[in-house]
Amino acid sequence: MRAQTETIAGERQTRHLPRWMRHTGLTAGAVILVIIVLMGVFAPLLAPQDPYEQNLLARIVPPVWYEGGSWEHPLGTDHLGRDYLARLLYGARVSVFIGVTVAFVSGIIGTVLGVTAGYFGGKTDVVISFLITARLALPVILVALAIVALFGSSLTVVVSVLGLLLWDRFALVMRATTQQIRDADFVMAAKVQGASTLQIIVQEILPNVATNLTVVATLEIAQAIVLEAALSFLGLGVPPPLPSWGLMLAEGKSFILFDPWLITIPGVLLFGLVLAINLVGDGLRDVTAPDSRN
Amino acid sequence: MRKSTTQAPALLAAILLGASAASGPAFAGKADDTLNAAFSAEVTTLDPYKESGREGLVMARLIYDALLYKDMKTGEFRPELAESYKVVDDKTIDFKLRQNVKFHNGQPMTADDVVYTLNLVSSKEYNARYQIAVEWIDRAEKLGEFDVRLHMKKPNPLALEMLAGNLPIYPKAYYESVGSQGMSVKPVGAGPYKLVELTPGTRYVLERFEDYYAGSPKGAAKIKRMVTRVLPEANTQYAELVNGQLDWIWRVPPDDARNLARQAKVAVSNAQIMRFAYISINPNYQDGKSPLADVRVRQAINMAVDKPGIVKALIGGASQAIASACNPIQFGCETDVKAYPFDTAKAKALLAEAGHPDGIKLDLVFTSLPRIQAEAIANNLGKAGIQVTLNEQQYAPGISAWREGRAPLLLTNWGSYGVGDVGLSVGQFFSGTGDDLAKDKDVIPLLQSANASMDRAKRKDDYSKALKLIADKAYWVPLWTYNVITAHSKDLDVTQNADEFVEFYRANWK
Amino acid sequence: MLRFILRRSGSALILMVVVSFVAFMLIFAAGDPAVKLAGEAGSSADAARIRALYGFDKPIPVQFFHWIAAAVRGNFGHSLYFDQPVASILFDRLGVTLLLGLTSFIFALVLAFPLGIAAARWQNTWIDRTALVIAVVGQAMPTFWFALLLVILFSVTFPILPTSGSETWQHFVMPSIVLGYFAAPAIMRLTRSGMITALETDYIRTARAMGIAPRNVLLKYALRNALIPVVSVSAAQLGYMLAGSVVVESVFAINGAGRLAWESILRSDLPTVQALVLCFSLVYVILTFLADILNAWLDPRMRLADARTD
Repeated sequence: MRAQTETIAGERQTRHLPRWMRHTGLTAGAVILVIIVLMGVFAPLLAPQDPYEQNLLARIVPPVWYEGGSWEHPLGTDHLGRDYLARLLYGARVSVFIGVTVAFVSGIIGTVLGVTAGYFGGKTDVVISFLITARLALPVILVALAIVALFGSSLTVVVSVLGLLLWDRFALVMRATTQQIRDADFVMAAKVQGASTLQIIVQEILPNVATNLTVVATLEIAQAIVLEAALSFLGLGVPPPLPSWGLMLAEGKSFILFDPWLITIPGVLLFGLVLAINLVGDGLRDVTAPDSRN
Repeated sequence: MRKSTTQAPALLAAILLGASAASGPAFAGKADDTLNAAFSAEVTTLDPYKESGREGLVMARLIYDALLYKDMKTGEFRPELAESYKVVDDKTIDFKLRQNVKFHNGQPMTADDVVYTLNLVSSKEYNARYQIAVEWIDRAEKLGEFDVRLHMKKPNPLALEMLAGNLPIYPKAYYESVGSQGMSVKPVGAGPYKLVELTPGTRYVLERFEDYYAGSPKGAAKIKRMVTRVLPEANTQYAELVNGQLDWIWRVPPDDARNLARQAKVAVSNAQIMRFAYISINPNYQDGKSPLADVRVRQAINMAVDKPGIVKALIGGASQAIASACNPIQFGCETDVKAYPFDTAKAKALLAEAGHPDGIKLDLVFTSLPRIQAEAIANNLGKAGIQVTLNEQQYAPGISAWREGRAPLLLTNWGSYGVGDVGLSVGQFFSGTGDDLAKDKDVIPLLQSANASMDRAKRKDDYSKALKLIADKAYWVPLWTYNVITAHSKDLDVTQNADEFVEFYRANWK
Repeated sequence: MLRFILRRSGSALILMVVVSFVAFMLIFAAGDPAVKLAGEAGSSADAARIRALYGFDKPIPVQFFHWIAAAVRGNFGHSLYFDQPVASILFDRLGVTLLLGLTSFIFALVLAFPLGIAAARWQNTWIDRTALVIAVVGQAMPTFWFALLLVILFSVTFPILPTSGSETWQHFVMPSIVLGYFAAPAIMRLTRSGMITALETDYIRTARAMGIAPRNVLLKYALRNALIPVVSVSAAQLGYMLAGSVVVESVFAINGAGRLAWESILRSDLPTVQALVLCFSLVYVILTFLADILNAWLDPRMRLADARTD
């Protein structure tokens, strides 16, 4: 087992880059993702104007390629006369932030539970497995809706609710992965050398489950972003005037018949983002654990 | 893959707009004398005293008749199931009933039905949803086969308002046998339409009641059938309206109404309603230690909101900006109060004068109001240095937050039960009840006396004084009145009333 | 096998108790029911009257005890909003949603299975890549957007399908496509990876070496093994779809349990939300229980593994 782990690690050093380059899905996904993240990071520089600046006299101006559009608002304005391009750029920040934070919160909960269950086994495992099943039995959307309905919608509430609900996949994968390596030679060796349980988990187990953790994290980021859009659609997502792509999509909903670009543009961007994250996640799995793919 | 997804909706919409210009045959509607209508919200029950939603109440007015009828054009009360009525004294009204009225099950209406209904719905056990409609009734008494006397617990200036439409009469024998649950799905009334088919929460089929009594102020229904469906998604409604599967929808947002108006077969109309929007300010927030305790801050908030601008851009139609805590079409609504015209600079100056030259930060809880309007208001306030964090709440948590004093500002709307009397607007909010957080000791006695008096002139005077005080002290930011936009088939002639009821029995094909 | 079933029933039962407690507690998130019940026009006095009338002023443990005792007897209490027993409202709605869940699930299987098998069979070819794209689109496209696009396409541009209601089979076509597509990616990916793993195993290689026709190897031997993880996830997906039907039911005006749940939350209709969360959880628990048994039947090793954990 130890030998095998070393091979993978060694492979990572020597063959990782070429392999990464050869994987089209991963490359394409990474490129889209980088572009979107850069959009968010440099939003203040790129945005033609303040994303919160309303102009009630210039509402629902179409994008430049439509009749009536102008370069003043390249992607038009929304129903409050705010520049759509500016909102999309800042929206990238919010959507990516939601995805990453939710994955971070749920990742911590899920990893702690999963690794604990996998490492200790026995009664601990039974209890945690039961917790996971109980969590899976609760309908996520309903629970999220009910909680947001009580606390009112704020970015903190949305992120916390999703973070506290989406940890199941982390826990399941981390538990299984830890089980696989807990009896490995290098873990035994550390035990023999007198390392504490915490040391073993932090120094031996975690580095070896990191790959799977990354893969699950990417998928959860995508899941969180799509769920936020669904919450927004039901009127319980991030609060206005904060621009998130999910919220913009939800706001554009009522214009789908007559001014469809209001929903198409954020829709395509959100789609691109989720697609890219999925491609990266799948690509990472292929590259780092080739066995699971073929 | 992504490219085609990008263009699909634009393309489809283009096809849609092109296709709808060439008008095809209608699917239903005029051809088979059936009015197809849709509501967004569910009808809960057709036992209307148990219903809180507007849609269910609209349906109920088609199925049931009441003792009186209010003519919304003239504001007059006219006898409906009653042939005539007489106010005997402050606490007694006598009714002489019509003798030619039949319920949908064929039974004739007599004094027994009226007495039974009024005593039933005003009882504590029955638990009517809107107590305000029934709590003033002491008892109804049978004087003869077609004569009824109504005794009130206390003088109620709104008695006639309540008797007109809000107190539908049930057939005693039928209700006794089926109860509230039976009534909710198989209603029997004496109204111009009878219910013939019902899928709860989804579909309601009404048919003209052929034995409807002559002489009713409502008049017999003109269109034979009416099919009402519940379609929660607005786009589904628009799609069906455009392709002719629907003849009537309402509560259409202004932007969508503009687009629908361009469709060949669709007509759009709007009517002002009793509902209005307001921000209420809690001067006692944080035990009176918040900036809101200062009248100048409250006045600054009033001045910061560009009411006419928002009304023009986002609401339109028959809506108008208001200055007093009531709807100008209500009796007793004094409009000559201290006004706070939109002036960002002056608002800033007032804030500075009150000791907040750098502005203030507050939470703004809003509920039951289009988000777009809340955002526009927040933007206005921000420009004047009043930074608000929007906190959208569902109705129950939002109102609880206000009543428990956790919300410094509450932005919401109020429909006054569709009643044209300020007793149900300002009279409810500043008379020392749980909704009244200002608890102004000058305003409370004025309103309490006006709410209980039968003397119209005195009431008007008291309300006027109270409204002026409220405006002076800027406890509220009265915003604007609402209008209801209706989109309907061009073949259909239908009007919308200010009380948010739709008299479908008057609707007709063109 | 019987022992296995008994053991699983026991844990399912404990799960139900825990979930019902969570459902009960969580419900206090839905807002003050008394205010909501009083209606948009209700005064604070109306709310206080209702609070006392329905016992909302009692301590929470007392309310929970009353609730659980009644729920066991099939009485989920009285809907605040509809003023009727919850059970009577729930019954019809749940039926519609279960039917929708079933048709969507069939659509998901019809889409996911062949694609997953083909992707595994022709790995790393354009077929595999197309399947991947179809799966990712399903994950990346918000349900409501997809639903509205279908409405425009099939009800406005080409008016061949009804937009709203649940009266005929045609009414279920669009909702099933939307909801099924939402559930398909996970099933497809698992079918694909399960098939690939199965194709790599010794006995499949042996079967191949023995000259059994590739189609038979694929369908008879590999598929049976590949099915196992798919069955587990399918059950979970079906449960998840029931909750996801909130959006779909709203767009297509289907009067099902998902929409009821959403509206009940907005109305703070406490007993109805409680009953719905409980029912959704119950459906999930039953489905996973059935999936476990199905899997144990597909793969005897699993039964043994379970027995060994004593």
